Amino acid sequence: MKYLVLVPEALVATSAVLVLLAGRFGWMAQSTRRRLPATVAAVVLIALVIELVQGATLATYFGGGFIQDRFALFAKAAVLLTATIAFAVVDWTAEDSLSIGLAMPLLAALGVMIAASAGDLVALWAGLELAATAGVVLVALRRPDLGLRLLLTGGVASGLLLTGLAFVYASAGTIELAAMRSVLFGGTTTLALAIPVFLLLTGMAIRASVAPFHLAGIPSTLGASPLGAGLVLGLVAAAAAVVAIKLVAALTPIPDAYSSFLQVIAAVAMVGGGAAALAVRAPRTRMAYLAAGQIGWVAAGLATHYRAGIAGSLFLLGAFAVAATCGPAVMGRAEGGALSWAGMGTLRPGRAAGVALAVLSLAGAPPLAGFFGEFAVAAALAQSGHFALLALGLLGSVMSLAAAAATLRLIYVHSPLDEARRGSALPGLTRLSTAGAVALCVVIAVYGLFSSPILGLADQGAEALGLR
Amino acid sequence: MMWLGIAGLALPSPSPAAVPGANIFSSPLLLSVLVWVPVIMAVAIAILPNPRGRFDVLMKQIAFFTNVGLVFVLWIAYNQFESFLSTPQFAENQPWLAAIGASYHLGVDGPGMTMLLLSGLIGIVSVLASLGIRERVRSYFCLLLLAQASINGAIVARDMFVLILFWTASAVPLALLILGWGGPRRNAAAWRLVGYWGLGTGALVIATMTLYFVTGGTSFDMDVLLKATNISPRVQVIVGLLLIVAAATRLPLFPFHGWARDLYAEAPIGVTVVVAGSATRLGAYLLLRGLVAAEPAAAQVLAPLMAALAALTVGYAAVAALRMADIRHSGGYLAMIPGGVTVLGLAALSPLSIAGAVLSLFAGGLAAALIVGVCATLAERAQSRSLLVLGGLAPRMPILTWLLIIGGLAVLGVPLLATFPALLMTFFGSFKNQPIGAFAVAAGLAVAAVAIAMLLRRVLFGVPNPDAPGVSDASLGESWYLGLLAGALLWIGIFPTGPKLPGTDAPIFDPGLIKTMSAGVSEMASPYVMATPTPGATK
Repeated sequence: MKYLVLVPEALVATSAVLVLLAGRFGWMAQSTRRRLPATVAAVVLIALVIELVQGATLATYFGGGFIQDRFALFAKAAVLLTATIAFAVVDWTAEDSLSIGLAMPLLAALGVMIAASAGDLVALWAGLELAATAGVVLVALRRPDLGLRLLLTGGVASGLLLTGLAFVYASAGTIELAAMRSVLFGGTTTLALAIPVFLLLTGMAIRASVAPFHLAGIPSTLGASPLGAGLVLGLVAAAAAVVAIKLVAALTPIPDAYSSFLQVIAAVAMVGGGAAALAVRAPRTRMAYLAAGQIGWVAAGLATHYRAGIAGSLFLLGAFAVAATCGPAVMGRAEGGALSWAGMGTLRPGRAAGVALAVLSLAGAPPLAGFFGEFAVAAALAQSGHFALLALGLLGSVMSLAAAAATLRLIYVHSPLDEARRGSALPGLTRLSTAGAVALCVVIAVYGLFSSPILGLADQGAEALGLR
Repeated sequence: MMWLGIAGLALPSPSPAAVPGANIFSSPLLLSVLVWVPVIMAVAIAILPNPRGRFDVLMKQIAFFTNVGLVFVLWIAYNQFESFLSTPQFAENQPWLAAIGASYHLGVDGPGMTMLLLSGLIGIVSVLASLGIRERVRSYFCLLLLAQASINGAIVARDMFVLILFWTASAVPLALLILGWGGPRRNAAAWRLVGYWGLGTGALVIATMTLYFVTGGTSFDMDVLLKATNISPRVQVIVGLLLIVAAATRLPLFPFHGWARDLYAEAPIGVTVVVAGSATRLGAYLLLRGLVAAEPAAAQVLAPLMAALAALTVGYAAVAALRMADIRHSGGYLAMIPGGVTVLGLAALSPLSIAGAVLSLFAGGLAAALIVGVCATLAERAQSRSLLVLGGLAPRMPILTWLLIIGGLAVLGVPLLATFPALLMTFFGSFKNQPIGAFAVAAGLAVAAVAIAMLLRRVLFGVPNPDAPGVSDASLGESWYLGLLAGALLWIGIFPTGPKLPGTDAPIFDPGLIKTMSAGVSEMASPYVMATPTPGATK
């Protein structure tokens, strides 16, 4: 019974491998292929239910390398929910390969789950790399050039991360996060520690496509398939954020080593993301910059280096993962540019509502998931006296809100274009995709309503990381 | 009767009145109904199948009857409201985000109930003013209901988190309504609205977070944040300044009025009515609740600034209205004047002026909605907005002529209209404490009177322009929505304390707005009451 906790990971990993093998060796009949997305979504949903039921068990496995705590429960539940909705909502006619399109998000989700339960630096790195590699594969499937760009930039990020981790290990004398935290208590911030922390955070900022390190991440998503874009913008960024949260929690005894740098990253991301979202017109590009802005809020919560801030970041991360992953997925093809989604509120009301709510949530518009998350972070910023960062975040949010209003106008106010002028086919309409779009809307809309238990769980998650 | 009502404000505290039917109906969810029913109906409209616009009329009916139902509920609440209590009524308080101390806390006191009545009336009026919408009817009425819900939410919020939530939420549907159904310069109007209101929201959030920080970061409840006694005067002033910025962007006050002219000129009529009538009044309501009632030290320091802003707003709006060659622009500027009067009342910090400001919230909202509504309707019916083209319309559009005259007089606050007692109380309460500001506002009103007189003379009674396009009078729907606004102004102007059974003090069906709105005002004004020397007291 003890190992029931590991069933969600096992289900996700097995499904990914089976789907990949079935696709490679052609084991699937046509009817099976049609049902496969729904089947995989159902399997992930089962994994989510098991996680929610069994995940509350606190346990450690593999000699402390895998920890099941409230933080892991929150992060895994968020990522499994995200994956379930993404599989349901995606327009599979716009994807390049069914099997790879299903397997890569599963592997990315597995990466986040491994990082969330990581007890040491190696598992953290492995989880992040798994998620990032899945993103590269899915992007490269349609645009090998962008895939290569993402791979090379990811390689740089990985190099920075490994170097940073090695130096941190050298300074702390341990790779276990809890032990590292104990060692660092009472210590002072030295240059030998500050430099590797700087390298670590830079590497994760590249992975999360946080401005100004977004120059590979965001362009890659623009040429990728809908699910590929969602994977890079949402799940990979979420993996980087999960790793960042765990590392920051371990480094809280020496906040001077990272807090200022995180504040700068957060400020640039929040303001830059909002400004860029306002400047661009294409819906998917705008969504990408809105996501970059919201991940800046996650970084701002981490910069407070105390429990409420990190709990707020984790709470926001859940909202971010759902909107940033499922938003591009529900949007479908984006080849038509700025007007590709004109009047979609009339043509595809379910999908249009999903896109509208995802965009609004990423912009932090009330009363949706993103607003509650950003407000929790804002409260933490106020509690810790970071008013300048709070003001910059608000500026970014105002710009994001204006950008979101422009997208809503395109969807609901603009008249629909004919096929030739739209530049891309209408997103496919299936029962599964409609159910997925409805589920996406419901999750984004009720996240705030149930924010008390969700934020409570996030707070317990922050506590589980050793924060008081 | 009106004087009795005004005199009643000077009494220490009204004793419990036996309102017939009081406490027969009470619901712990009454305020939630007012906030969430429009949201539910908006969702219903959004998901209702509407092939080729077959059910457009049904959607308009849903929006209309939703508002009628809300006004019915409001009327019950108004009659059940216990005006002798200073504490919030119909309160709902549920924990929400316990980790940061945010709760779903709603409640209304006298000013809140006044604002709710205004919002309910404006809700019906805005739907009636929107009956002419033909394109994307579903989206329009869905957004209109969402805007009304968010305004109601901001009014009844007793938790700063809830207030920020609804305050921010109101900007999105309104901006979309302008973008989708506005005139040729709708883009500029909408983005300016988002920009200015966004700035105000930012100021409000920072003010709230500052209070949250200094009160220990445990709760966003207004009872905690706005009643804290350990806040230093310097912090109070900073918070007060931020609240003034938030209010000034919303009301609007000079120099944060950049969005107003374009919006009132370009937005569809139903939206201009909502913005001028209720959405903008939230600015003054915030000042009342967040600064005057909560931070007396800061209010004393910032009162001259508020008075100056009020005077500048009224003066600037009056001069601008005088110089405009577009009737909708003129109407837009004239609609800024009641907001300036309200802020003067708040700046004077005397019980009478604060009561005048609260009544001005209601009366000024109606007057602003009427003047922008009638100017926009007249421009539509005359097929021109240019004052160089419009002339001598009175014989050809008698209904709109009367309504424009009432609208102009309501802005000026002439007797028999609701703005008169509001103006009277504001000025009587202001001349002692803010003499320069009061005289400047009065001078601005004199200029506004000239502007209105010139507008009326040119448009209604001037020489008809033979080259002007054909004109027609207001339709039935337009007459109704403008007539409702004018009727409400007249009703409160004539019966501020409500009609009574002859020879008794028992109200017939309207307990009286002045009585209702004054609940809680004396407590808000208590820090500003000058100590009266007792006869015979020795040093």
